[in-house]
Amino acid sequence: MPMSTDSPSTPEERAARRADRRRGGAPAPEPTPAASADEEVAPPESGRAARRAVLRPGDGPMVVFDNVAKIYGDGGGGLQDVNLAIDSGEFVFLVGPSGSGKSTFIRLLIKELDTTAGTLSVGGRNLSRLRANKVPYLRRAIGCVFQDFKLLQGRTVYENVAYALQVIGENPRGVRRKVPEILSLVGLSEKAGRYPNELSGGEQQRVSIARAFVNHPRLLIADEPTGNLDPETSIGIMQLLYRINRTGTTVIMATHDREMVDKMQMRVIALEAGRVVRDQKQATYARADA
Amino acid sequence: MRFSFFLGEAWRSIRANAAVSVAATVTVLIAVFVLGAFIPSFLYVQSSVDEQTAKIDVAVYIADDATVAQTNAVEARIDQLTRQGTLEGSAYVTPREALESLREDVDPALLQDVNPNIFPPAYRLDLVDPDDAKSVAEGFAGLPGLASDVGDPDTPGVVYGAEEADTLLRAATFIQWAGLALISILLVAAVLLIGNTIRLSIFARRREVEVMKLVGATNWFIRWPFVIEGVICGLVGAVLSVALLWGVKLSLVDPFVDDSASPLTASGPETIGFVSLTLILVAAGTLVGALGSGLTLRRFLKV
Repeated sequence: MPMSTDSPSTPEERAARRADRRRGGAPAPEPTPAASADEEVAPPESGRAARRAVLRPGDGPMVVFDNVAKIYGDGGGGLQDVNLAIDSGEFVFLVGPSGSGKSTFIRLLIKELDTTAGTLSVGGRNLSRLRANKVPYLRRAIGCVFQDFKLLQGRTVYENVAYALQVIGENPRGVRRKVPEILSLVGLSEKAGRYPNELSGGEQQRVSIARAFVNHPRLLIADEPTGNLDPETSIGIMQLLYRINRTGTTVIMATHDREMVDKMQMRVIALEAGRVVRDQKQATYARADA
Repeated sequence: MRFSFFLGEAWRSIRANAAVSVAATVTVLIAVFVLGAFIPSFLYVQSSVDEQTAKIDVAVYIADDATVAQTNAVEARIDQLTRQGTLEGSAYVTPREALESLREDVDPALLQDVNPNIFPPAYRLDLVDPDDAKSVAEGFAGLPGLASDVGDPDTPGVVYGAEEADTLLRAATFIQWAGLALISILLVAAVLLIGNTIRLSIFARRREVEVMKLVGATNWFIRWPFVIEGVICGLVGAVLSVALLWGVKLSLVDPFVDDSASPLTASGPETIGFVSLTLILVAAGTLVGALGSGLTLRRFLKV
């Protein structure tokens, strides 16, 4: 069951959010002083951004793996015979031992790698057919959070988050409006002027999440976001990801954190030696055979 | 907004890479300085050569006691050469006119007491091709009635300025090639050093570049700051060298020119205005910077 206590969990609220998403506006982040949320948050997509958008709008499956295989040059690692679909708005855990293919799975999604066989679509786009010059636009539609945060070291918290907006051509006014908003969402308003090396791991991961979410992507991918964090901090990060999911964003999270997966009771996709060995709704980290 | 953002990014990178950026800037400074010193010198020499070659005409001096028949024979020959197409034109210059024309080049004060009659009357011949000067001069040399006390020993009565002009032309050509070679070497060095600066800058920021790609930066979004970084190095180098050249001009060239401004240089050869020179040099520096970073990006920033 959801751990976050302040998320809207009634069906009505969820439906409202989904409708919001269909209109093409960005989902409103939490928490919701309902009246002001719309005007403050929804960034109307500019014509240019919309034209360049790679992901097709709609509520179809966000991610479809159709017989996907990735075989590395040396024959090791990789993925084989992966067939699955992830719907818009789902929260999915990707589990499995090291070397089971979790990272490959994620790197295929952001087209850091190309499939060797089969078809992988994200947001209705066949990634094999996506031209190299469109890849940046794909990545703008996908937020990424990593175990090692991947923050820009010479830049403050504010600048790190602003960068993701500057990349997509946001004007300075938009940057000044959106960055503080997202920083308050992740609880880092006070630390906007700090540099990454002055922050704790948990705080750095919050910055990373803020950067990933500031563009309101439809898909958020987290590769072991709590891998370097203590359990207390991990819970905070988890709650944040969950709240982002509740705004309608599809979240795919690779993790080793057994306790967390068991608590959340979300869909679990388990990989082993490059194959999907289990794909189960409301599941736990380990196979619940007992 | 885009541009100011890229400018900020470039500045960030220059600060992070200060020593290397300074080295590249100094190389540009030196190259552009040499270029800036060379251009006026080259133009000066070129203009002197032009002036001299323009003077490679032939003057046929008529003796005071020449008969009408002798003068007519000279004129007939001039007409003949004109018909052949060897001469562009000719003019009869009286002693008074000769003095007047000298007044334009030389301080009139010096010529105050000069008697025009020291200049024998002359025919000035404009040649189509300066190379004909010698043969034309020799053709006149044998004619009677010329002022044989004027002119070269082997062409009495006739003056032409071939040899000096020849030497000058050869010197000018040499200066031209040596200068171009030196400038080419320096500019290539500057391009390479800027390239190296950008390469180090890319290397120092390779992790950042990776992150930029992950958040969806397009290739040119990543490249522009590096290009601007190179251009800034080139531009700053050029501006500094212009300042240096201005200093040199004020402290070394101008006083020298003033002191030696003898009456004979009242109208010297033309060079180039400082403003035009500045524009050329700044353009050159910018180009060197853009070229250096552009070439490096092609090789090292595979995005």
